[in-house]
Amino acid sequence: MSEGNGSIRDDGWKVNSTLAMRRRLMDRLATVLSLLATSVALIALGSILFTLVVRGVGGLSLITFTHSTASPGQEGGLANAIVGSLIQTAMAILIGAPVGMMCGIYLSDYGRGWLASTTRFVSDMLLSAPSILIGLFIYQLVVVPSGQFSGLAGSLALAILALPIVVRTTEDMLRLVPISLREAGIGLGASKWRVIVFICLRAAKTGVLTGILLAVARVAGETAPLLFTSLGNLDWSVSLTRPMASLPVTIYQYAGSAFEDWVQLAWTGALLVTLGVLFINILVRIGFGRKGA
Amino acid sequence: METTSQTVSPAARVIGDEHGPEAGDGRRFDTDVVFRWLVTAAGIGVLLLLGAIILVMVVGGMKAMTAFGPAFLFTSVWNPVTQHFGALAPVFGTIVTSLIGLILAVPLAFGASFWLTQMAPARVSAGVGMAVQLLAAVPSIIFGMWGFFVIVPLMAHYVQPTARHWFGHVPGLGALVQGAPFGTGLLTGGLILAVMVMPFITAVMCDVFASIPPVLKESGFGLGATRWEVMRNVILPWSRSAVVGSVVLGMGRAMGETMAVTFVIGNSNRIGWSLFAPGNTIASLIALEFPESPAGSLKLSSLMALGAILMVLSFLALAASRILLGMSKKGDGR
Amino acid sequence: MIGQASQETKVAEKPAIAVRNLDFYYGDNKALRNITMDFQRRKVTGMIGPSGCGKSTLLRVLNRMYDLYPGQRATGEVLFAGRNVIGSGVDINRLRARVGMVFQKPTPFPMSIYDNIAFGVKLHEKLSRSEMDARVEDVLRRVALWGEVKDRLKASATALSGGQQQRLCIARTIATRPEVVLLDEPTSALDPVSTARIEELLDELKKEFTIAIVTHNMQQAARCADQVAFFYLGELVEMDSTDRMFTAPKETRTQDYITGRFG
Repeated sequence: MSEGNGSIRDDGWKVNSTLAMRRRLMDRLATVLSLLATSVALIALGSILFTLVVRGVGGLSLITFTHSTASPGQEGGLANAIVGSLIQTAMAILIGAPVGMMCGIYLSDYGRGWLASTTRFVSDMLLSAPSILIGLFIYQLVVVPSGQFSGLAGSLALAILALPIVVRTTEDMLRLVPISLREAGIGLGASKWRVIVFICLRAAKTGVLTGILLAVARVAGETAPLLFTSLGNLDWSVSLTRPMASLPVTIYQYAGSAFEDWVQLAWTGALLVTLGVLFINILVRIGFGRKGA
Repeated sequence: METTSQTVSPAARVIGDEHGPEAGDGRRFDTDVVFRWLVTAAGIGVLLLLGAIILVMVVGGMKAMTAFGPAFLFTSVWNPVTQHFGALAPVFGTIVTSLIGLILAVPLAFGASFWLTQMAPARVSAGVGMAVQLLAAVPSIIFGMWGFFVIVPLMAHYVQPTARHWFGHVPGLGALVQGAPFGTGLLTGGLILAVMVMPFITAVMCDVFASIPPVLKESGFGLGATRWEVMRNVILPWSRSAVVGSVVLGMGRAMGETMAVTFVIGNSNRIGWSLFAPGNTIASLIALEFPESPAGSLKLSSLMALGAILMVLSFLALAASRILLGMSKKGDGR
Repeated sequence: MIGQASQETKVAEKPAIAVRNLDFYYGDNKALRNITMDFQRRKVTGMIGPSGCGKSTLLRVLNRMYDLYPGQRATGEVLFAGRNVIGSGVDINRLRARVGMVFQKPTPFPMSIYDNIAFGVKLHEKLSRSEMDARVEDVLRRVALWGEVKDRLKASATALSGGQQQRLCIARTIATRPEVVLLDEPTSALDPVSTARIEELLDELKKEFTIAIVTHNMQQAARCADQVAFFYLGELVEMDSTDRMFTAPKETRTQDYITGRFG
């Protein structure tokens, strides 16, 4: 250390102290503020989860899953709403996912020019379209002509919401499949559709499944499009041609009511919906993250 | 259409269909062609779907549009008894709540994405980033309940009385804080929207900030700049249009949000200065008024016309954000 | 160990930077092994070697650029202006102002030509408007850019040509009045004419600054450098005056590399 460079003092290290102080303060301030901003999101998430658990867990019992909603004072559960949500979500995915996957295949492997870019834009448009308008749309198109609020109408509305999510992930994931894999398939003499369906889609399986799961998580919590389509049903009903209960709509109806046991049910339902949705999200993100690493 | 599909897949035309099960028999049934038409039909189906949604809104709203004319856009009356409806109050509420939401959410999202992309250690950033994304995944009705049972009492007992105490007698500002302390209203709606759209904006901003070429950042640090100075003077100017795009995207989200706002907006078709006055947004008005609007009624038609307006607003927001986000991708000069 | 290094310090003046027993790690991967070398004051030190040999890594140690990335660390000593700059307690921002850096690709900031230069200056000094104008003009003249841009100082720097951008980046670096300028393959993205102008510029700059330049281009090293260091697989193989390195290298590895490139 001593030889060569043993200069004792060096004025170059000195800085304009007010300027340096101000810069250091600005940097500290920015650091603290950005940390605060981040914690606002964390606090909000924490507060929501805390509120849900504190208010929701008390109402959780076997009856929640075995009994349907009932008049105030009677023992009621959420069985009809849970089953209704499951049916409508499943139907929505059954309708929306295949169409979405086909549209995604079109965009990644077939579509060119203005038609494809318009389709891509429209799909993005649907992705961010206000969900309540989808409800109004199905109301006019299905409910009014059939004269009947129905589980099918609700499923259709949710399917429209699920569709663009599947389109987007299918296209993105197919684009990630290396060209060499396609060429290898074509080199074996497989026709284009077989290469896409049996090689590319299989290679992109995890990603496409991720998209479908995210679509499930999205539509399972949707309320607005169901208000005008499946309406809600206080009794047990699994008929697709009749009004059908769902967790979000039941929460909406009960949360603002004057009866304590109904409000309690709303909180319990809210807890169930949130846990389900967040569980799927965590599953997808952690599962997908591990694949990526 | 035919020309597009012709140019698409040379491979498909070269390969032919000898491996198809139908090969060999007289009717030439080309699975590849069928498949191409199938997926193209799905693509066109998505196009038609959006067209149909717009068409249904416009046709459904036609009755109200013809009954009230352009005045529909400029009157704030919403009176089922006299059968007189106007769009101004809910449009006003939609824009005011969305703006409040953005004013609060944008600095928060900017701060969070700054911290997540530039300050936090990778591991912490991944964990916290995931928590922020989980917040985005919470269903909107949950935000509504949380707002109604947690935020509204806070607003009624603390925020509004405090605001009135300090600003109530200040000329100008006083008008903003008038009204009975219900806790519901435009400000509360904006607050809930801020919490909802913040994670969306954060996600887009994080992507944008992470995509800056490292060497440009290093040039900033190479001159002795601090992290904040690099953010402020290098990263932000570089990604300006994309940042604006993310904000507009958040605006689109905020305008279309229904359930969260419906719980806390107060449901009143008035236009006033007070941030604490109850109001309505297009989406919340549709959700709240729909049950009392029989099919074919003028009221339902007015709701449809409002839906068409909302569709236009969110279309504009999305188109603008797409252009802005696309601009920065092309213009990064690499 | 310290004694071994003294063969290079026969020069009367003290070196601007003295590297002693430097090891560098990317995580568990050792990228530099026991480097000991001097950067002579107001001389151009050329650093050559095949890709991945560690020459750019060494450059990024000198201004602690590696600090930005977790998992990268250096041990040993880098003595500059009386301190071990890779030790603790060094004002890194001040260090980076005193040891400036120019990168492989031109990196103009997305702001005007004037602001590109003023940005770095403002970080460290408080100048009046006229002082700043004078500083901007001065550094632009020194990189021979003033004539080309004096009428459009407020125009965006990204509109300049590649060669102009790189000269602007050099001007931006010397505007903070550093003592050392690090150049990381500064001409690899430029055409031959722009390259020649940058090389001329180096001759001017070394009257005032200590310069360390990493280059892939053997002729460039021969043309510009006063002394050349050859790196291979994270080790400093040989370092000598430019003449001797290119005419009579001591190590066969050096000879192989140099002749391989020429031949």
